[in-house]
Amino acid sequence: MILRNSAIALAVLAATSAQAAEFKWASTTDPQTMDPHAVNSAPVLGFLNNVYEGLVRRDKDMSVEPALAVSWETIGDGEGWRFKLREGVTFHDGSGFDAQDVLFSYQRASGEAADTRSWFAPISEVTVVDDYTVDFMTTAPNPLFPSSIANWMIMDQGWTEANDAVVPDKETGNYATLNANGTGAFKVTAREPGLRTVLEPFEGWWDQAEHNITSAEFTPIQNPATAVAALLSGDVDMINPVPIQDVARLQQSGDVEVIQGIEARVIMLGFDHQAEVLKYTDDAGKPNPFRDPRVRKAVAQAVNVDAILATIMRGNAEAASQLVSPAMSGYSQANADRPAFDVEAAKALLAEAGHADGFSFGLKCPNDRYLNDEAVCQAVVSMLAQIGITAELDAMPVRNYWPELREDKYDMYLLGWSPGTFDAEHPVRFLVATPNEEKKLGSWNFGGFSNARVDELLPVIQSELDAGNRQAMLDEVAQIIQDEQVYVPMYVQPLVWGTRSTVDLTQRPDNFFLLRWVTVN
Amino acid sequence: MFAYIVRRMFQSVIVLLVVGLVAFSMFRFVGDPIDNMLGQERTQADIDRLRTELGLDQPFPVQYFKFLKGAVQGDFGVSYRQGRPVSTILIERAPATLELAFVSGFLAITMGIALGVFTAIRRQGVAANVIMTVSLLGVSLPTFLIGILLIYVFSIELGVLPSFGRGETVMIGSWSTGFLTTSGLKALILPAITLGLYQMTLIMRLVRSEMLEVMRADYVRFARARGLSDRVINFRHALKNTLVPVITITGLQLGSIIAFAIITETVFQWPGVGLLFINAIQFVDIPVMAAYLMLISVMFVSINLIVDLLYYAIDPRLRVDARAT
Repeated sequence: MILRNSAIALAVLAATSAQAAEFKWASTTDPQTMDPHAVNSAPVLGFLNNVYEGLVRRDKDMSVEPALAVSWETIGDGEGWRFKLREGVTFHDGSGFDAQDVLFSYQRASGEAADTRSWFAPISEVTVVDDYTVDFMTTAPNPLFPSSIANWMIMDQGWTEANDAVVPDKETGNYATLNANGTGAFKVTAREPGLRTVLEPFEGWWDQAEHNITSAEFTPIQNPATAVAALLSGDVDMINPVPIQDVARLQQSGDVEVIQGIEARVIMLGFDHQAEVLKYTDDAGKPNPFRDPRVRKAVAQAVNVDAILATIMRGNAEAASQLVSPAMSGYSQANADRPAFDVEAAKALLAEAGHADGFSFGLKCPNDRYLNDEAVCQAVVSMLAQIGITAELDAMPVRNYWPELREDKYDMYLLGWSPGTFDAEHPVRFLVATPNEEKKLGSWNFGGFSNARVDELLPVIQSELDAGNRQAMLDEVAQIIQDEQVYVPMYVQPLVWGTRSTVDLTQRPDNFFLLRWVTVN
Repeated sequence: MFAYIVRRMFQSVIVLLVVGLVAFSMFRFVGDPIDNMLGQERTQADIDRLRTELGLDQPFPVQYFKFLKGAVQGDFGVSYRQGRPVSTILIERAPATLELAFVSGFLAITMGIALGVFTAIRRQGVAANVIMTVSLLGVSLPTFLIGILLIYVFSIELGVLPSFGRGETVMIGSWSTGFLTTSGLKALILPAITLGLYQMTLIMRLVRSEMLEVMRADYVRFARARGLSDRVINFRHALKNTLVPVITITGLQLGSIIAFAIITETVFQWPGVGLLFINAIQFVDIPVMAAYLMLISVMFVSINLIVDLLYYAIDPRLRVDARAT
């Protein structure tokens, strides 16, 4: 696993010439806002990581390192965290950074209008000790707090107040939607939403610059064929993502390179655990067979993940055994085996559960959310047919998909999950814990799975300070999830970027593209 | 005359209202914008709160009425995706689409007429036959394929033209133009050809068949008998008479060049209103979709209205009919 982590860090920074360069890159999604607290989505946070900084930041291998804070320590027996702030840091507009900006950014990012609010759920109080010391008090010991706020970006109180942007506004927008004033390595010099965004290096950045970029221009290109053409013709230096079907073609071209890695996102099949009856096909109204763990296990054994990876993903992805990929902290080594592909065993399990003659049901699937999602679902349908159960596939755009799932309109569904904290606790909280609106648990547990032991362990895991004990509990939860076959994890989605051969950069598993690690030769 | 105009205007307004109503009732099936606006760590309470704030919890007739109330005052609401007034975004994006439509329309008309005349006069020539065969491709190949082919040849293989975008633009007041820079002009070439190719072949084939028809007419034969030169016959007598239906068709096609630039704009990442509309659909940006659909229907309705009024002015029979009813 350590090997893979270091393999992800692709940058070859040694011996780069100091020549300066303009850099252009393209991706499918335009960050919808420049406000770091308004929208909690990967395109926005990934882009703004170039402009804004948090107290801590993630290195090339995802480990947490100091950024605007130089050090942090627990207070007492874990009542909170004390952060020592970096001195001499300035924002892009020249104003200084101190503890008041941290307090202000906390209030802004945890307010009702902020989409980042859930990050601060464990916080009871934030106090400024002196100009460069801030205390974060937590309701319970919270060992993961520092690494959970790597994307919480600090704004300048003076700038934000002067421009009347104290509250993030994603509905109607405000000054911070179009303008940015961070402490990061790059500042925004032009912003035309949906067209282009230009960044230039910030001269006064506190850290040593590793890149050699003089200006960087981002263009959203939605059509994959256009993006590939733009890369091949040299109109852009980097695109993300490269369509899987174009990978082989690009690899043959001498001018461009394909960089592949493994994303944090695990693709899985989910079930309705609560419904008494099936809702789709001719068998609608019959008892729901997926409430029986043996049937769920049969599904897991019937899906030939290796075949899906070899054909649909063209060898670019890796099979998954649990709800997080091996690159995440808290991954359970004890549960690293996934159920073997075995049609006969699956049939036997079905017969044992009383479904020897099979049954039919509805499978819901998005067709524009994950890489080749619809093709994967089609493959699953044909694989399930081999054990005698008939899935009726209904694939739809993601904008229709989530409302369907929320309304329980499925018998089985496809889901991808990327843990925002890069820790195994995250999917347990969102996908496995019994749904509880008040405690903000299980908000994506559409099937309504409920297990008393998991619910009991989750709060203990969240506040356990000892790494060994914590891992033991995570292992136990992973074991329960596997025994119960709550989901059928299939594979970890691949990351595929394309660059000109002259460009060196780093691909991080969170799919964030950071300009500060780019060199153009 | 006045009563006729008033009646036509009244009909146009009804058409617009119906278009808006149909559009709004369809938005419910386009998807839910909420999921795009909130991150994965949102709670049901966040969803409900945002839905109420945006007024999406209200029945669609109410939403439609609200939209109309604003639209009449020139306020199309705020884009869900960009958080800026839709009218500002449309004004920003319109020049790109209009310039592209103008250039491809110009290309289509001039090239279409010239090639049409040529193929009609040199009916048996090799060149004319080649042009006719190639033009079949222009009518039958889908726009996006032509665009991709052009990009492949001119951007990737030859490397002479940009593969996407509008190049550098210059602001004249609030109008951004690509006509004044080399990169802007270069960027126009491929999209303009892609967008105009279908119209060009259409005009060319129309001119050719009309021209062949006219060449067989008695007055052309008499002109020839009078010993007039070929040039005078072809251009003064024949071409002039073929242009009447051509102008009608061209006028109607102009609207569709603007409205259906969507595909070309997507292939070339051309920053116009068509691309804006496609992105709005993906994001379920209802205010942008509504404004775009209304503007396009206003455009078509006014073109039709103008055409009808012109007919009224030209054709005396319509006036007689109007009096009779």
